[in-house]
Amino acid sequence: MAEITMLEGIRQALFEEMDRDPAVVALGEDIGVFGGAFKVTEGLLARFGPERVIDTPISETAIVGAACGMSYLGLRPVAEMQFIDFIACCFNQVTNFLAKSHYRWGAPVPLVLRGPSGGSVHGGPFHSANPEMYFVHTPGLKVVYPSTAYDAKGLLKSAIRDNNPVLFFEHKFLYRRIKEEIPSGDYTVPIGKAVIRRQGNDLTIISYAAAAHTSLEAAEQLGREGIDAEVMDLRTLLPLDRESILASLKKTNKLLIVHEDTRTGGIAGEIAAIVCEGAFEDLDGPILRVTALDTPVPYSPPLEHRFLPNAEKIVAAARALAKY
Amino acid sequence: MAVDVVMPQMGESIFEGTITKWLKKPGDKIERDEPLFEISTDKVDAEIPSPAAGVLKEVKVNEGQTVPVQTVVATIEAGGAAAQTAPSPAKQAPAPVPAQAKAEPPPSSASAPAARMPSPPPGAAAEQAHARAASGEKIRSSPLVRRIAREHNIDLAQVPGTGAGGRVSKRDILEAVEGTTARPTQTPAPPVGGAIPFRAPTGPSPLPPGGAAQSTAAFETAVPREKLYFGHYEVQPMSVMRQKIAEHMVLSKRVSPHVYSVDEVDLTGIAALRAKTKEKFEQAAGTKLTFMPFFVRAAVEALRAFPTVNASVDGTNVVLHKEANIGIAVALDWGLIVPVIKNAEEKNFLGTARAINDLAERARAKKLKPEEVAESTFSITNPGVFGGLFGLPIINQPNVAILGLGTIEKRPVVIDDAIAIRSMVYLTLSYDHRVVDGATAHQFMGRLKHSLENWSESIL
Amino acid sequence: MNRPLTREQHFDLYYYMQLNRQLEERMVRLFRQNKIVGGLYSSLGQEGISIGSAYALEPRDWLAPMIRNIGALLVKGFKPRDIFTQHMAKYTSPTFGKDGTSHFGDLKVRHTVSPISMLGDLIPVMTGVAMAGRYLGQNIVTLTWIGDGGSSTGAFHEGLNLAATQRAPFILILENNQWAYSTPVSRQVPLKNLAGRALAYGITGKTVDGNDVLAVYRATKDAVEQCRAGRGPVLIEAKTMRMKGHAQHDPAEYVPQAMFAHWKARDPITRYEAYLTENKLWDETKKAEIDARIERELDEDQKFAEESPLPPAELAEQGVYCEGCHEIKADWHRPKSEVTPPKSSVEPTWTVESFGGVEAEIPGAKEVALSDNGAQASPAVEAEPRAKPAQQKTDGAGERLRVPFGRGPKDKEFVKEKSFARTRHHKRGKR
Repeated sequence: MAEITMLEGIRQALFEEMDRDPAVVALGEDIGVFGGAFKVTEGLLARFGPERVIDTPISETAIVGAACGMSYLGLRPVAEMQFIDFIACCFNQVTNFLAKSHYRWGAPVPLVLRGPSGGSVHGGPFHSANPEMYFVHTPGLKVVYPSTAYDAKGLLKSAIRDNNPVLFFEHKFLYRRIKEEIPSGDYTVPIGKAVIRRQGNDLTIISYAAAAHTSLEAAEQLGREGIDAEVMDLRTLLPLDRESILASLKKTNKLLIVHEDTRTGGIAGEIAAIVCEGAFEDLDGPILRVTALDTPVPYSPPLEHRFLPNAEKIVAAARALAKY
Repeated sequence: MAVDVVMPQMGESIFEGTITKWLKKPGDKIERDEPLFEISTDKVDAEIPSPAAGVLKEVKVNEGQTVPVQTVVATIEAGGAAAQTAPSPAKQAPAPVPAQAKAEPPPSSASAPAARMPSPPPGAAAEQAHARAASGEKIRSSPLVRRIAREHNIDLAQVPGTGAGGRVSKRDILEAVEGTTARPTQTPAPPVGGAIPFRAPTGPSPLPPGGAAQSTAAFETAVPREKLYFGHYEVQPMSVMRQKIAEHMVLSKRVSPHVYSVDEVDLTGIAALRAKTKEKFEQAAGTKLTFMPFFVRAAVEALRAFPTVNASVDGTNVVLHKEANIGIAVALDWGLIVPVIKNAEEKNFLGTARAINDLAERARAKKLKPEEVAESTFSITNPGVFGGLFGLPIINQPNVAILGLGTIEKRPVVIDDAIAIRSMVYLTLSYDHRVVDGATAHQFMGRLKHSLENWSESIL
Repeated sequence: MNRPLTREQHFDLYYYMQLNRQLEERMVRLFRQNKIVGGLYSSLGQEGISIGSAYALEPRDWLAPMIRNIGALLVKGFKPRDIFTQHMAKYTSPTFGKDGTSHFGDLKVRHTVSPISMLGDLIPVMTGVAMAGRYLGQNIVTLTWIGDGGSSTGAFHEGLNLAATQRAPFILILENNQWAYSTPVSRQVPLKNLAGRALAYGITGKTVDGNDVLAVYRATKDAVEQCRAGRGPVLIEAKTMRMKGHAQHDPAEYVPQAMFAHWKARDPITRYEAYLTENKLWDETKKAEIDARIERELDEDQKFAEESPLPPAELAEQGVYCEGCHEIKADWHRPKSEVTPPKSSVEPTWTVESFGGVEAEIPGAKEVALSDNGAQASPAVEAEPRAKPAQQKTDGAGERLRVPFGRGPKDKEFVKEKSFARTRHHKRGKR
């Protein structure tokens, strides 16, 4: 067992999959000789060569389009967005070509679109995005957003092996900040399954990515105050693990949703609707949410701190909910 | 036949009580009205007499446990001629029937929990709930609670609500279902992932549990809680009474703008009178002669002259009370309580003295009745008895003024350009400037001072 | 260069063009009978381009049609009934009614990629198909079309730029039919001859008469061979005219009548019929035979389509994801070991052949003379790619200056070190 960062977990997944299956290729800006802006793909070119590790021009539409074409011939491309923010440049390809291909004419698109996302790194409005909901809103895609090294590696493998286009979000704040021991050997984590990070009875906190860690921090504080919070990490946003969400709510009867995405149109609203539809009579309190502000991501640290959810905000909301 | 013993309702806004001591154990014989157990509630601690004669069969709620009002705490096997049909719990509960008959409870005093919404008393909950159900109003409850009630065929109207705003909480309904605090059967929890959970960063030293139960201003901290815990310390959870006091004080200060008027009064005359007649008084009256009845009598006169000081505030209405119910703050070993001399304006000196002593004694013996700690219109407190020149007391809501008595001591004073040694005392009037202006306050004090310095009433 | 066409092949070209036209005429009638669901687009007058270019491909090659390339689908082996049912939203259509018009394809047999409605996106996609085909050793060529209007999109630029930098075996036929909906080409692009855009990508650009099916065929055949030889991609501008409106709902009153007349005189089918007659490649009987066959096939397929049911409503909920319904397997035509370690391993450094600057010449670049009616081919413009990763560890490659990443030519230390690259690689590996 080795202790690795989340970034290393992603790299290992790429290495191992490319070793296992020569149909897996990688393309993106600066991923080859340079090893990627965050060094995720370092070493891939040396091992697998330029036919499989392709340095592209700055053309998100072309990168994603070419990956789509490759997947029609049975390859399994892993395309990188240097910052996931730039996925906006190829929104058309993702939502109109990739997402609709199998539904319309039965042509599966087994590719992975991956990139660093999220804030807390003083990145400002164009390097800190959490654009996941544009794609959660698009049927035909899968959207994965791990929060641990173990999950990142296992989920990326699952994404590569999946026959559908998978958007794989990597929270850049977590890249090197979290370490974990992972087992050696091949393992996958299933797409579409949430996981309980902390068992509890008084209320459920649902979260994902960096906010999952913040939620755990808050749960520790709440535990000391006698409030026993259950913390669930979604891991996959599309398809959403309805069963786990409803099961946890039926156990604790109170729900707080935390995400770093902006408030309006964030997945908290979707989860709240699912719970109202599927477990209304198990609700013992209003569904609360702690999210980022409805603004672009600001740049200066005090502004960004105010923008982002933090343990304090989560604890305050959880206290109010527990008392209801 | 078995007779239920229930937790009585000790006041309009009291929802629960804590059993502090069982005076009998199962198997013991008990007479009707014999003290059976002691309780502590928000407002008053009390000894509860047995509702029936017989043998104590079963104790259902143990010492230290807090249960909602009307909970069956024990059963008595009633037997023999002394046994009568068990009186209804409502009759046994000291809560006076008039309180239930009131259509609407008065606006909750500041000492009620959940400051945001006035909570109807659960003792009257059944009646009120029936009225509510009849009028079609939904009983406050969450979807979960309604489902559980439905599944177990429980009429929510019968379940006392202790949640926020008087709603029936999950705990309430579960207790109604099982009489315990068991949780519903759990659906299997989602599987804990094979992932190794993230190790949370080490945080500050663990904090004792906070007062999560009540959501009132009293329990705010001005600094982050972690900063309170450093070095060596012992954590003492607040008693119910202490919590109530804390709440009351914060709210009183918040609601009433306090202004203080201090005056110095020459008690030499009264002191001399007291010294002279003390023995005779105590023999004849059968009760001690303190300074307090003098102050109370003087206050009553002053209140008669300045009715604004004998009032309450309701929004933009000033409620002028016709009776003068004087609250006397009594220091207890375990806290503070303010028993009330009702209709003090009808009592003479002797009656006042008797009332004061009786209330104080019974306060210390935990034998006060709930109505004896309610409905004051003016209060007097005596910090001076413990030392200190004078105090700046907090108004006892919903009064608009409180009189604080300082230490009575001999001091040199100037009279007619000569120095004399007199028994002096500082009196403070804390008053609510929403309705009592400085002029009134000072005039009131002046009147008080005049009465005390020119004592005319016969005390025997 | 090209083998001359056989007689049968000549007949094929006529057959497909006429089939294309007759098929579309019938669809116009069906549209007016309210049997077509949604819009109807026409390739009237442009049949030569679709058929001529598609016919130049081998079965293993891939193509992706745009809205006016139904003829190409017929060449690829789709049947008229596929086109009818697609337009009539029937359950028997290749997409089961999930999508309409030419929005369908076939990955397994006919190697056709379905378009989307947004323009230009097929270019990067077919570039990707070409790159994958090369990677798998399939020796394929991919082809798609774009209009003069579509050439204004960012996807066109990004796609062609990628194809060019990757030297993908990809052919782009730019159908300049003079109109993009109601916008004339002069308003759409700043060039008279869109083949000139090839210069921007350093690739071959050719202009052909789109209404001359043989010219289109030959130009495409040349391009195919060029691509198979690894010298792609190729941009072919085929000049033509859109003889109807943008779609059935557009009467195209903005087009001057004289323009329609000019191009009607240059109708591709009429011209080709004349060519076949003049060169005695056929006679009246043969023409009648082919025409009758076309009628028969269309009658049969139209009947089939009209009698087909609409899809069941539940179908709307199905097919969002592929969860095991397809087995995705690449078709390898080269040993996998070539692209797995150790054979795939390289030195992760750049070989930079030029340091740039104004004195560097682009080999072969000339001022491109763009003639008026575009009838002549422009000179081929080719360029070698600027940089590629070093292929082998051997560095007996003489004087070629190797600049490892992060070090510049002014680095005196570097200049001294001969085996710098290898050392640096080791250091990086140790991190």
